[in-house]
Amino acid sequence: MNHHYITLKDFNLFLTKLVNQKIVYGPVARKNKFVFDLISSPEQLRLDYDVTILPPKKIFFPPKQHLLHFDGESYKDCLDPKEQIIMGVHNYDIKAIDQLDFLFKEKNPDDHYLLNRRKTTIIGSNIQTIAARSFWGSAGAGVEPKGHDGFLTKLKDGFVFETRTKKAENLVKFAKFIKAKKTQVEQAAQINTAVKKKCPAKLAYSSAEIAIKTRLAFKNNELWERLSKDCFSCGSCNTTCATCYCFDVQDSWNLDQKSGFRTRYWDSCMTVEFAKTSLGGGAVHNFRALRRERFRHRVMRKLVYLNDKLGGPACVGCGRCATACTADIADPVNIVKEIMEA
Amino acid sequence: MTQKPKVAFFDFSSCEGCQIELTNFGDADFLELLNHIDIVEFREAMSEKTDDIDIACIEGSFTRESEKDRLIAIRNRAKIVIAYGACAHTAGINALKNHTTDFKKAVYGQDADQPHLNSNDKALPISHVIKVDYFAPGCPMSKYEFLNIVSHLLHGKEPVIPTYPVCVECKRNETICRYDVGDHCMGQVAMAGCGAPCPSQGIPCEACRGFCEQANLTALENTLINKAGFSASRAKDKLRMFTNALLPDTSNP
Ligand code: SF4
Ligand code: SF4
Ligand code: SF4
Ligand code: SF4
Ligand code: SF4
Repeated sequence: MNHHYITLKDFNLFLTKLVNQKIVYGPVARKNKFVFDLISSPEQLRLDYDVTILPPKKIFFPPKQHLLHFDGESYKDCLDPKEQIIMGVHNYDIKAIDQLDFLFKEKNPDDHYLLNRRKTTIIGSNIQTIAARSFWGSAGAGVEPKGHDGFLTKLKDGFVFETRTKKAENLVKFAKFIKAKKTQVEQAAQINTAVKKKCPAKLAYSSAEIAIKTRLAFKNNELWERLSKDCFSCGSCNTTCATCYCFDVQDSWNLDQKSGFRTRYWDSCMTVEFAKTSLGGGAVHNFRALRRERFRHRVMRKLVYLNDKLGGPACVGCGRCATACTADIADPVNIVKEIMEA
Repeated sequence: MTQKPKVAFFDFSSCEGCQIELTNFGDADFLELLNHIDIVEFREAMSEKTDDIDIACIEGSFTRESEKDRLIAIRNRAKIVIAYGACAHTAGINALKNHTTDFKKAVYGQDADQPHLNSNDKALPISHVIKVDYFAPGCPMSKYEFLNIVSHLLHGKEPVIPTYPVCVECKRNETICRYDVGDHCMGQVAMAGCGAPCPSQGIPCEACRGFCEQANLTALENTLINKAGFSASRAKDKLRMFTNALLPDTSNP
């Protein structure tokens, strides 16, 4: 839509007004890490963050979400969408959210996701600090970020604010935005292009090359065995992933023995129990009982299976899995290297 | 169940801390539970005995020969047996003696030879002696999980206890990983269900709930050495805290 400009000083006033009137989330510091959290005053917002522990999807698709409440006779859904703004979403997370939007809409539209999502305004921001294990510069390089409402790029004395939807355009009235100059818009574009080359880690092959070779490696048991030897099946590479969307649903009863909740939790295909299925009569079959099968499955999901549907790989290169894996075997950059050289 | 199920509590070698966790009366949840069950035996609270029990809840490990007959007698009277707390589930810290031979001397010094201090060489989970239907793990067990198990049983439903590692819940909490602050942790091999309270309070998981399914103990040793800077022997010993009786070198009676 439009390109606006705001000075650093006015940006602070803008934030103050915004957080007083709206529910605003953004990256904040937590010890030596960052997390998306509620912002109650402007200095909390750390647009200079590198990456957060969990991706911003947690705000509209929380790790634990009540789906419905029942009382023995009837049930009521727990939909309660709230108008909210997420500030400071990096491009890799914008791409990831765009994928989730698609996946939760296709086939059986998921209202517990979609209603929250529709009420959420997403304002991206340029990457000022680069996380050590990130490789978004080369992951799905041909895919442009979309689906967000606005985008902030920090120049020396202020921000260029690109509004892409009405939701974002409505925010402009909160402060002294002026029309951005052509040079400022160009400068912003240049900053966002240049940063892509600055990731310390890089995939040395195109998404298509990786997908082909990875699929061909499916039966290379020795490779998967070697890569997964130290795997804990702990799922941290899924539970921190920007694009994972699997969930588990459980019912729990209150002690009145009548009422309770149906709740969903983020799930993880790396855990042993994920692929356990009932054969009836108490019999159980696990169709990915081996560590190497689960490890391979995640890799296939991130690099191969979803590519056609999503128009690019399901890995956006945030590097969260690489950081979260205590055995340090989850980094797609290393995995891809091993596969391509196998 | 038409009649209120009869529930009994028994204790073996333990600190009885899990009972205390339960007898935390004044807790609305526990009082609510009492509307749905009949407690027929409770060492801490009552004395009458009954012959048939719907649910027997057993605390403590098997560490004396004489406990065998008592356990078998309870099993024979009970429709369902729940082992609650780490001592009953994994033998807990009682099993810290399992890989040593001088434990009596180390603990009791010159009194070590007194006959009433005699116990087996190894403390073992009660499941070594009797069939256990459900486990409420942890040191102490979580009373909410215990209530959840009983609540499911009252519905004729299978209680759902996760078999995946503590890391899953730790990440859902968005806790900073102990390894990211130069510490160590065993959450990668510990069974979830507790909600990962220890890392969220800034202390490592000690695997008090026992091991998750397919726990990768070799990888844990490697990680403790490579990431937390442990010596090889400390890495091996680390696992003995709550799970000594489950380790390959100490699990055989
Ligand atoms: S696979 Fe890893 S790097 Fe890729 S999107 Fe998921 S967490 Fe990020
Ligand atoms: S990688 Fe696994 S957990 Fe993540 S979305 Fe795919 S199947 Fe689900
Ligand atoms: S690859 Fe790493 S993070 Fe993923 S399940 Fe295995 S040990 Fe956990
Ligand atoms: S702190 Fe412990 S439980 Fe939490 S993610 Fe790290 S290793 Fe796992
Ligand atoms: S986090 Fe680990 S030590 Fe703490 S309660 Fe859970 S299993 Fe036990």
